Amino acid sequence: MPSSVEFALRCSGVTRFFPSGVAVDDLSFDVPRGSVLALLGNNGAGKTTTIRLLNGVLRPDSGSCRVLGLDPAIHGTDVRRRTGVVTENAGLDDRLTALENLESTARLRGLRGKTARARIDDLLERFDMSRQAGQLCQGFSTGQRRRVALARALLHDPEVLFLDEPTSGLDPAGARAVMELIDHSARERGRTIVLCTHFLGEAGTSADLMAVMHHGRLAAFGRPEELAAARWPFLDVYLDLGGPPTPEVEATLRGLVTVRAVRPVADGALVSVPGRDAIPSVVADVVASGGRVYGTRSLPKGLEDVYFAVQQEIAA
Amino acid sequence: MTLLASATSLERRADGAADAVDRPAASRRLNHDVVRALLSKDMAAARRSRSIVLPLLVVPFVLLVGLPVGIAIYARAGTPPDLGRFLEQLPGPIARDLSALPAQQRLLELVLGYLVAPLFLIVPMMISSALAADSFAGEKERRTLESLLHLPVEERDLFVSKVLFAFLPTVAVSWIGFALYSVAANVVAWPVMGRVFVPTWRWVGLIVFLAPAVAMLGLGVMVRVSARARTTQEANQLGGAVIMPLILASVGQTSGLLMMEPYWIFVASIVVWAIALLLVRGGLRRFTRDRVASRL
Repeated sequence: MPSSVEFALRCSGVTRFFPSGVAVDDLSFDVPRGSVLALLGNNGAGKTTTIRLLNGVLRPDSGSCRVLGLDPAIHGTDVRRRTGVVTENAGLDDRLTALENLESTARLRGLRGKTARARIDDLLERFDMSRQAGQLCQGFSTGQRRRVALARALLHDPEVLFLDEPTSGLDPAGARAVMELIDHSARERGRTIVLCTHFLGEAGTSADLMAVMHHGRLAAFGRPEELAAARWPFLDVYLDLGGPPTPEVEATLRGLVTVRAVRPVADGALVSVPGRDAIPSVVADVVASGGRVYGTRSLPKGLEDVYFAVQQEIAA
Repeated sequence: MTLLASATSLERRADGAADAVDRPAASRRLNHDVVRALLSKDMAAARRSRSIVLPLLVVPFVLLVGLPVGIAIYARAGTPPDLGRFLEQLPGPIARDLSALPAQQRLLELVLGYLVAPLFLIVPMMISSALAADSFAGEKERRTLESLLHLPVEERDLFVSKVLFAFLPTVAVSWIGFALYSVAANVVAWPVMGRVFVPTWRWVGLIVFLAPAVAMLGLGVMVRVSARARTTQEANQLGGAVIMPLILASVGQTSGLLMMEPYWIFVASIVVWAIALLLVRGGLRRFTRDRVASRL
């Protein structure tokens, strides 16, 4: 179990009300340093409020947060000095150029002179915005605005990054680049990242942890594979049989103790087994019954499956 | 991929950048660097905004230069009206001074020396309230406020920069406008007056002390109103309900002030400053991240 300093983010019973109702309700979770947390949920689930609470923009009505060991409600400025945020709306001043937007933020973050300029130039190049640096943001596409906003959030090389829909509006190459950046920042640089997104596929490739929020409450939190294992004790395995299973092969599969379910598909069958260790014996039994196995593929449940399962649990 | 290719050099520089990050002591004193940075950002953006620049230049020019010049030209060309009854209403010494002048000079002195004075309070109130609405409510409308709230900027620094953004250009426009007015009025009226008749010491008191106070008053009102408004237009509409009576009051009282003993201008300035600063101070107290973010 990591010690308290090894947690970049800690929430303990955090609740926040607005006149319209409760926005975050008894939120508790811990995120170790260097992790990517996918913060998921429908619109209005409380994701943005959670980011605002963690970054000291809002104060909790009860409970407390710790970011890098500091309470953002007390040491908000110190916390914000070490965090970077890309808000759902890029939040750029349209009347300024991309460069001016970055320069003003750099000044506000205490970066000056050649250091600031070098950092800005690098980030503009990194996000392929060097040529548009002198243009007013007014004319930018959503993707271009998003890239400038990302560059702005990274100016001071923050230890914690809050990214609210960072790939929204980006083209596929841009989105991929951002996801690579997230991976790199977490794996190589030890940065902690909170990623709010509706793109479950991309969240699934990066997230170490997932939190599903619903009406301000935490409906699920943990490692996607652990949350999946708790919901699906069996592993789905695809057997490539070169065609639909023959009646003999299907009967064999249904007769095996280790196989919980069998579903014939066009090129073979999908079977549910207790784990990977059961696959060789299943293959051996199929071959023994006269069938041919051209290949197998494990189909572990991931973040996306867990998310929808949690949504179904909530609906139920 | 470009993104990762430059990562190593970027990280090296980032380490240096991290060293360069200011880490001021956690004090509640104003961070002048931050205020300057916010102010210069807002000024740069405002310079490119037609909705700010045009009212800032056109309204003062029309009211402070165009209107007085038109009056002076009319007074020179036309037959001056009989001001006898009007002069009877004025305080004795001023009525005596004006009655002693030739008819054309009397009209110019009365209009340009006293009656246009309210314009010099209307303009700062209008400009400061418009800029304050843009500065506070405009940030919400442009959806740039949340990014600012996520920066390591103290609330006080942010508030002060917003106040200065509205106050400094207003005072500059008022003072420059008055300088232009003085030149224009004396030039156009010279064939009739044959002397420099504005500014007088009373005018100087009005422009140097009372006009900035009135600017701060308009700002103070708008700071309070903008906290509730989501758009500049909404702020202007809400603020207008408070500002308009103030403008009407100033129209009614300003010329009278110029006709009274000069110290009344200072008394009025002190009263207006006190009210304005109370409003602004109240606005500062309410300007917390939590309160602002709750209304985003």
